[in-house]
Amino acid sequence: MSDATDHNALPDDELLAAEFALGVLAEDERAAAARRVARERAFADLVAQWERRLAPWAAEIAEATPHAQVWERIVAQLPSQAAPRPRLWQNLAFWRPFALASGALAAACIGALIYLGSLSHEALLVAELNGNGKHALVATIDPRRSTVLAVPANLAVTGDRVPELWLIVPGKDPRALGVIDAQKPMALPIPAHLMADATTEAALAISLEPPGGSPTGQPTGPVIAVGPLTKL
Amino acid sequence: MDADANRALIAAALARIPGGDRAALQTVYRLTSAKLFGVVLRILGERSAAEDVLQEVYVTVWRRAADFDAGRASPMSWLIAIARNRAIDRLRAQRRSGRMEPIEVAGELADDAIDAGSALEAAHEHARLHRCLGGLAEHERAALRGAFFDGSTYEELAVRMKVPLGTMKSWIRRAMIKLKACLEQ
Repeated sequence: MSDATDHNALPDDELLAAEFALGVLAEDERAAAARRVARERAFADLVAQWERRLAPWAAEIAEATPHAQVWERIVAQLPSQAAPRPRLWQNLAFWRPFALASGALAAACIGALIYLGSLSHEALLVAELNGNGKHALVATIDPRRSTVLAVPANLAVTGDRVPELWLIVPGKDPRALGVIDAQKPMALPIPAHLMADATTEAALAISLEPPGGSPTGQPTGPVIAVGPLTKL
Repeated sequence: MDADANRALIAAALARIPGGDRAALQTVYRLTSAKLFGVVLRILGERSAAEDVLQEVYVTVWRRAADFDAGRASPMSWLIAIARNRAIDRLRAQRRSGRMEPIEVAGELADDAIDAGSALEAAHEHARLHRCLGGLAEHERAALRGAFFDGSTYEELAVRMKVPLGTMKSWIRRAMIKLKACLEQ
């Protein structure tokens, strides 16, 4: 990437990323930039940053209701059966960093694995929460004990924020499961009235909140990782 | 439901799509299609073409949901980018095939009135962008608007605002530099 000579200017790649995200390029230049987005991660990141800067402007565009047939046409185009993804926790490589981790973390993780091993598998629900290109955390819900075990992997917490775990159910507001520890596994009790919503229809998410957790009962900070609940 | 809760719901639904969950795609569609259709309709100006593009957008979301990264992008900015890119691609193809002339709306690039704003985007993000756009010169802001809202090219904007192409390029580039500096303050 070559920096332009004017110190006020943006580097060439960033300028092109801005022009692409804004949508101002003519067809040929636009197609060339789109090929770079598909091939070059660094360039795609620059474009994504500009897309994020500009997207709030769309709040000024009036909403419009598409014809109901559009959804039917979308469904008709979906493949009949999606190939299942391999589950992260079935991959030994995922657990290796835990084995290599030192001190309390390793001890706690081994404790967590023993805890997991003591349970009957078929009842458990597991969510692999990903964010920022990383596996942030694996959460396991044990319906019989009404608990969720949160085992952090790469959970990046900035400033004085704390990570809070949420149960996300389609059509409902997120339900707080509690503040978790970014460094070590934690088991949290799940309130009885929320257990009915802990199904494979739901997902778990982590947001960054002030110390002590969200003051409003709803996520107030950025959502840094999400993952659907699935049967183990 | 507030904007942050809505954002978490959309992000969680997106996370379920790579597993083949159609109900999750339907949740995303239900929560976001009115906004995305508004965005696409604004660029294309015609319902039938806009509905074709909206269909492509959600099929793309289905295929690419695994690429969505909650740590890097907000779900709405990711979805809006897909919708705008699809709409602009369609617009460019239409212009090439001569099916539609550039919309002549000379003198109509002035700022629109701000509506109440969508609950889908956090109000403070919009307020910050709005403040930074307010710091641009009027002609710079008008040029950016024409590109973002209507999908206009440098050349179309230059014709519409009656300036040489090189002038339009430097207006927009300077505006983007100022915008980035302001947003990063």
